[in-house]
Amino acid sequence: MTLRLLIVAALLAAFVAFRIAYDRRRRRIASDDRPVPRLPGHLVDGAEATWVVFTTPYCASCGPVVDRLQGHGPVITVDATRDPDLAEAFRIRSAPTVLLADAAGAVHGRFVGAAAVDAYLQTGSSASERRGLARSRAERIG
Amino acid sequence: MADSLRPIDARGPRFNQGVLTVALLGGFVADARLVVPAFAVVLLLGAAFGPRYGPFLRLYAEAIKPRLGPPAELEDPRPPRFAAAVGVVFLTAATVAFAAGAVGVGWALALVVAALAGLAAATGICVGCELYLVFARRRGVELVA
Repeated sequence: MTLRLLIVAALLAAFVAFRIAYDRRRRRIASDDRPVPRLPGHLVDGAEATWVVFTTPYCASCGPVVDRLQGHGPVITVDATRDPDLAEAFRIRSAPTVLLADAAGAVHGRFVGAAAVDAYLQTGSSASERRGLARSRAERIG
Repeated sequence: MADSLRPIDARGPRFNQGVLTVALLGGFVADARLVVPAFAVVLLLGAAFGPRYGPFLRLYAEAIKPRLGPPAELEDPRPPRFAAAVGVVFLTAATVAFAAGAVGVGWALALVVAALAGLAAATGICVGCELYLVFARRRGVELVA
């Protein structure tokens, strides 16, 4: 019985340790304020405002997000698991993460999760408004 | 979209995994071996027939989910069902080991399931789901995205 309790205690301690490490990593990622690089030209293709949606194969929220973005400018999807270098360069940690980029590939907005995209779409209508809002949001993000 | 492909609230499988972890660890401490085949059946129901048939998935959907806010994320139901199927295989093997008198082997197999389920419940890192992703990609399965 004592040995069994020790094994269970060790497992529970491992769960707690994993959870703490996981939370620390998420906080570190959230507070990462390194400069964001420009998106490659082939993704933005010279459009005034391009939505770049980072997805994963079993992200159920990604499809609806892409659908809702249709009509708000060009939408490009990137499977983060197939292009891990690009995902890492933009510090993608969950899907969907949506970047709003200008013609030069500069990122003006970053939206993590379907709710963030919905909230944003409800506040901007024209491309110029979207870009202005995105810029102010990006500034708030830091 | 077929019911089996409808995106699900990811918190349901995590609740299921949490219950499974507690039950298996409790069973291990008390040497209650019946817990292992019982939870093999619990996992099998959810994996084979969908969340509505998994007792704890249904408990989550009917009693817990209504008290929570809407889910931040939805997920494809197939990876967690695959993970549950892997759990069924391990727990069935553990049951066979118990029946054959290999109690240590039986509990070792059950503890593997408890450890992976506990990891998924605590962090959302689901090893079985990642395995599904590897197989799905090799077979060219289109996931719900």
